Amino acid sequence: MRLIAEVLDEQIKDNKGSNAGRVDGIVLELREGKPPRVAYVEVSPITLFSRFNRRLAWWYARHDRKWGEGRGVPFRIPWSRIRRDGPTLRVDFDADATPINALEDWLRIAVIDRIPWSRR
Amino acid sequence: MKKALEVGLGIVTSIGGFLEIGSITTAAQAGAGFTFQLGWSVLLGTICIAFLVEMSGRFAAVSKHTIPDAMRERFGVNFYAVPLVVMLGVSLLTLGAELGGVAAALEMATGVSLPVWGIPVAIVAWFTLWRTNFSFIENGVSLLGLVTVAFAVGAYKLHPSYGEIAKGLVPTLPHEDRAHYWFVAVSVLGASITPYLYYFYSSGAIEENWDESYIAVNRAISAIGMFFGGFLSLAVLVLAGMLFKPKGIDVEHYQQLPELLTPIFGRAGFWLVVSALGIACIGATLEITLALSYLVAQGFGWSWGENLPPRKDARFAVTYIALIVAGTLFVILGMDPLKLTQIAMALTAASLPVGVFPFIILMNDKTYLGTHTNGRFGNAVVMFISALAAVLAIVSIPLEIVGGS
Repeated sequence: MRLIAEVLDEQIKDNKGSNAGRVDGIVLELREGKPPRVAYVEVSPITLFSRFNRRLAWWYARHDRKWGEGRGVPFRIPWSRIRRDGPTLRVDFDADATPINALEDWLRIAVIDRIPWSRR
Repeated sequence: MKKALEVGLGIVTSIGGFLEIGSITTAAQAGAGFTFQLGWSVLLGTICIAFLVEMSGRFAAVSKHTIPDAMRERFGVNFYAVPLVVMLGVSLLTLGAELGGVAAALEMATGVSLPVWGIPVAIVAWFTLWRTNFSFIENGVSLLGLVTVAFAVGAYKLHPSYGEIAKGLVPTLPHEDRAHYWFVAVSVLGASITPYLYYFYSSGAIEENWDESYIAVNRAISAIGMFFGGFLSLAVLVLAGMLFKPKGIDVEHYQQLPELLTPIFGRAGFWLVVSALGIACIGATLEITLALSYLVAQGFGWSWGENLPPRKDARFAVTYIALIVAGTLFVILGMDPLKLTQIAMALTAASLPVGVFPFIILMNDKTYLGTHTNGRFGNAVVMFISALAAVLAIVSIPLEIVGGS
């Protein structure tokens, strides 16, 4: 598999078929005497920003940490929980139960649901 | 039968949605300054956008990807950031001009000054996006835009010399005021080849679940719809060429635009121009806002879709709210929509290569398009568009300084 061409920046969908971000980074596991293998993919603005500027990523992570436990570090998805489905990658869990959609959830509660007809 | 209806509706909405403040004012400036001599720039711009729209629809129908989606996937986020930032910046100016165009129409209709209309227009734009779906925006608003056909009727009633118009479709060098000639040509091309249009179109194809069976539908809509849309731009140019040029009137204020039809239709002409401007600009406002929101949401892999209720794609909805607020600031601050349009169109022309070059690569990638990649002719046209865009980028900014005032 060509990791950069076929995995990095690919769209991820969750088990409900909803968009769950893109592959922002790939974590390889180095093994003694064996070829490296993919351990995780990362879906996080921290990883995304680090591809532009490490200080920007560090700054974002420092602020993200204030939002609670488990925040301030990139969210990692084990490679074993991902399968390819045509042009997208599918995970076997609900993205709403993970930090992937934390900003989406916060905006829904803090902004969208306060405006009439948000459900149409 | 269903496909035939879709083709018909698609063509009608393409025509109704073609004109907006950029194409109306730049075509009027071209006619007022050079009679029919700049007809070629309308023709060239129309051919370019027809090809780009056809390609973006084919790309979405075959690959099930939108352009921003594939651009991030194929080139990576570091590359994707460039068109994202450039398009956001340039199209935000265009959005401000379109919102200003609606406010200008309301000012002419009521006498209440333009900045006062900023917030009411923003609320109408937001409410439409918030409450309706993609079909309503694409079909409903664009159908209302058919009022712009009044420009073609007006041009016909003036009995122009069709031979002279045909001569203008062949590029010629200007005899006087060269800098202004090229600046207006660049502005007309920038107004015609607007990237938001084909980005919007490719996302619309995904929203409406197009597949390979829509390739012929897409071809008919983009070719016929864009051709007749360009015909309306040409009609504006003809009107200005026959009514403004002989009197030495330059289009410097949007209040001059009703003069395109009042000599022909009297008071009704005033209302036709005001309603055409207002409807065309609100339609373009909705399309630009959605196109930019798609660009951001698809690039980051968020949930997106005008057919989803706002709480199902909160980040997408907040993005379009933020864009409307940002665009409205131009209106509230009292920026002249005509001046803003001139700047936005020149910058659009300058930034075209940023969107077009990667699009050429995508259109030739078999992993996305299989057997439906561009043919030689399509490639040649897109290469020509790219070269044209590159030249425009080089000449438009100095021209803006030398000849744009």
